[in-house]
Amino acid sequence: MSTTPPRKAMPSALTFDLERKCSTTKARASTLKLPHGSVSLPIFMPVATQASLKGLTYDQLKQTGCMLCLNNTYHLGLKPGQAVLDKVGGAHKLQGWDRNILTDSGGFQMVSLLELAEVTEEGVRFLSPHDGTPMLLTPEHSISLQNSIGSDIIMQLDDVIATTSPDHTRIHEAMERSVRWLDRCIAAHKNPETQNLFCIIQGGLDLELRKKCCEEMVARDTPGIAIGGLSGGEAKEEFCKVVDTCTGLLPEHKPRYVMGVGYQEDLIVGVALGADMFDCVWPTRTARFGTALVSTGNLNLRHASFAHDFKAVEEGCDCMTCKPREEGGLGITRAYLHHLAAKETAGAHLLTIHNVHYLLKLMGRARQAILEDQFPAFLRSFFTTLYGEKPKIPSWVVGALQGVGVNVLED
Amino acid sequence: MPAGAQVSVIEKQHLQYKKNSLPVPLYAIPSGPHESALRKFICAQNDLLLIFGARREPPIASAPANTDTSIAVLTSVGYAQLKAEEYLGAIQRLKPDIVIGLADLLIGPKPGIKRRVKMVDRTHAFTTHATDNLYGPELSEHSRSNAAYFAPILPLENTQQQLYLEDLETDLRPSISGLALYEPASLSAVPESLGDLPRLIFSGPETPHDLLREVELGADLLTIPFLANASDAGMAFTFVFPAPSADTSPESNPRTEPLPLAGDLWAPSNTTDTGPLIESCSCYACQKHHRAYLHHLLSAKEMLAWTLLQIHNHHTMDFFFAGIRQSIERGTFEEDVRTFQQTYASEFPETTGQGPRLRGYKLPTSGRAQPRRYPPAYGRLDIAAGKFAESQSDLATPDTGADGLEEHGFAEKV
Repeated sequence: MSTTPPRKAMPSALTFDLERKCSTTKARASTLKLPHGSVSLPIFMPVATQASLKGLTYDQLKQTGCMLCLNNTYHLGLKPGQAVLDKVGGAHKLQGWDRNILTDSGGFQMVSLLELAEVTEEGVRFLSPHDGTPMLLTPEHSISLQNSIGSDIIMQLDDVIATTSPDHTRIHEAMERSVRWLDRCIAAHKNPETQNLFCIIQGGLDLELRKKCCEEMVARDTPGIAIGGLSGGEAKEEFCKVVDTCTGLLPEHKPRYVMGVGYQEDLIVGVALGADMFDCVWPTRTARFGTALVSTGNLNLRHASFAHDFKAVEEGCDCMTCKPREEGGLGITRAYLHHLAAKETAGAHLLTIHNVHYLLKLMGRARQAILEDQFPAFLRSFFTTLYGEKPKIPSWVVGALQGVGVNVLED
Repeated sequence: MPAGAQVSVIEKQHLQYKKNSLPVPLYAIPSGPHESALRKFICAQNDLLLIFGARREPPIASAPANTDTSIAVLTSVGYAQLKAEEYLGAIQRLKPDIVIGLADLLIGPKPGIKRRVKMVDRTHAFTTHATDNLYGPELSEHSRSNAAYFAPILPLENTQQQLYLEDLETDLRPSISGLALYEPASLSAVPESLGDLPRLIFSGPETPHDLLREVELGADLLTIPFLANASDAGMAFTFVFPAPSADTSPESNPRTEPLPLAGDLWAPSNTTDTGPLIESCSCYACQKHHRAYLHHLLSAKEMLAWTLLQIHNHHTMDFFFAGIRQSIERGTFEEDVRTFQQTYASEFPETTGQGPRLRGYKLPTSGRAQPRRYPPAYGRLDIAAGKFAESQSDLATPDTGADGLEEHGFAEKV
């Protein structure tokens, strides 16, 4: 691979203020200033796939405290399409959202959703699902679409393959190709003054490949850096090793985004390993299936045991769903959500509000702990509450946190 | 005063809980002596009027027949007999604001002569029994119900329910606070001595013209099933009452074409239209979003589409009824109704798009004449696999061919 080609300095449309680093772990509290407002990091970003967060109005999303949400390039490219986005004036105007948007490149969906997609040096080749015509999605197409969407953070098109793939040659090729595609994305990017292009570190579970990729991509000096290709069914220990290795090599003054992470334990471990941003559809999808996220784990509200449970989803939670009526909330009970589950979409909306709020608040609590340099104590109390007692904390969590200097099992 | 009535039908939860001797959750919720358990269970605001009825609106024809002591209803867990006794217990326990009295109604076919007699006798008995038990003189002050009882008037000729009506006018009169009617014809047949009672009508109106006709005939509270149907169909109401006079419309020459009652947001003309659903509408959907977004949400089958349409259509109906009240106060109602009829089309535009995904009790009922409710048993694994795939991905399939994709700038042909 050719290294260090002459490169023009890349403009950035963000500022990143690192406010405090945890004195024990690699966790950081920072503020990311983007074109549509300031975002406190670490952060969880909910996914509004098709320019709508599953039934919520954008005022309801604002009430959860969300400052940055995702849209999917693949979906917006199909509906409403680039011509409409250009005419309407981008995704912010389309959906009436005046805060920040991040879009992925569409590559992941291409590979995971379309049969017979084949990745070549030019781009992703696929057969049009309607008429079978061979087609090609290139890094240039992806960036052009994301330019039309006008998202505050755009992602490079990367060569995504499952981390669990046994084909090491293919993983190596994908990593190197992702670097070459990054160069094409940088060249194709028309609005670097208003949209921030993030690179995506690839390399599967091979730490040497990851190191090489970090080195190559950091040299390209994008405004932010994502760690991709994870959350694909690999062992948690492997996931932690990759995140830990990458954050160790990334510059301190840039935001780090781990893609596709949404379980609360993964988020908190991710923060301890030095990541700042996370996204996942799981918290909002599981809400539609009746699962509530609470500090003691996940509650399946469709279970009969909740039919007579007249408590709030989580006592003390100040989301609109849980907040008592006297305090201006809706005062929704578990029994009512059990009653609505799978009958009325309102149940799905109410739980979506709670789950998004819960994760944003959780990240806010982690941030506060980092700012007060109390993060190790936060980790111990969070994991003890989540699993009920210390011996139940999974060994991968214990191991990952030990690696950054915290013994969660001690009092 | 006419108002968009809020009718809340709580599904009968009995069947599920009978098996394991647990109390019905709705009845188990702890509530104070003057607190409505219903309001508490459904987490409803205090200023929302709760109207309690035995049937959903519009009602669904039930396979089993009503009996002398019960009516057959479709619940979320199948058909069941709702006993008059149980219904009474529910009223006492749940404390709604208004109760629709039980009536022996035949949904669908017209009743024959014998059935009509039975309908009257049974309804008469239901009403007497309920009012005795809810408001009877032998009840102590605190065990008397505070709910307002709306006695049903059957969709029959007055002569056919003479005895029942006479009883309503005399013995039952102190116990009833309103009337529940099931067809517009009943409005003009209400006996004079019951004339001062509010009238709630369940007649399944299909257009705002029907609503105006019923208000003209003396309806006070109206149910509007066409509201949710319009939202489901992707329609945004465009009518106002009184209708805008011809000289305030942009073109000063008199209108030739009647105005449509609703706009179809599925229509391709909305694709890039960044105007509100209705100019000058002050609802949340019109203030915050535009037609292009609604069109996108509908074609992407996003739930928010129907949420926003419900907000807009409810807002339009609130204004419609406010307009009616003012018009009646001004004494111009009849004239305003004529103008409305001349201004607007007589029907809603034809539906072009698809509705939201149906869930639970909204699924169509089964029956010989109905399409199969469940897919065939064979090939079930494919369905499970399909559902699994759906749960795994927010799958989106392009609904355009290669040329469309290229035109969208999504990818290029090779």
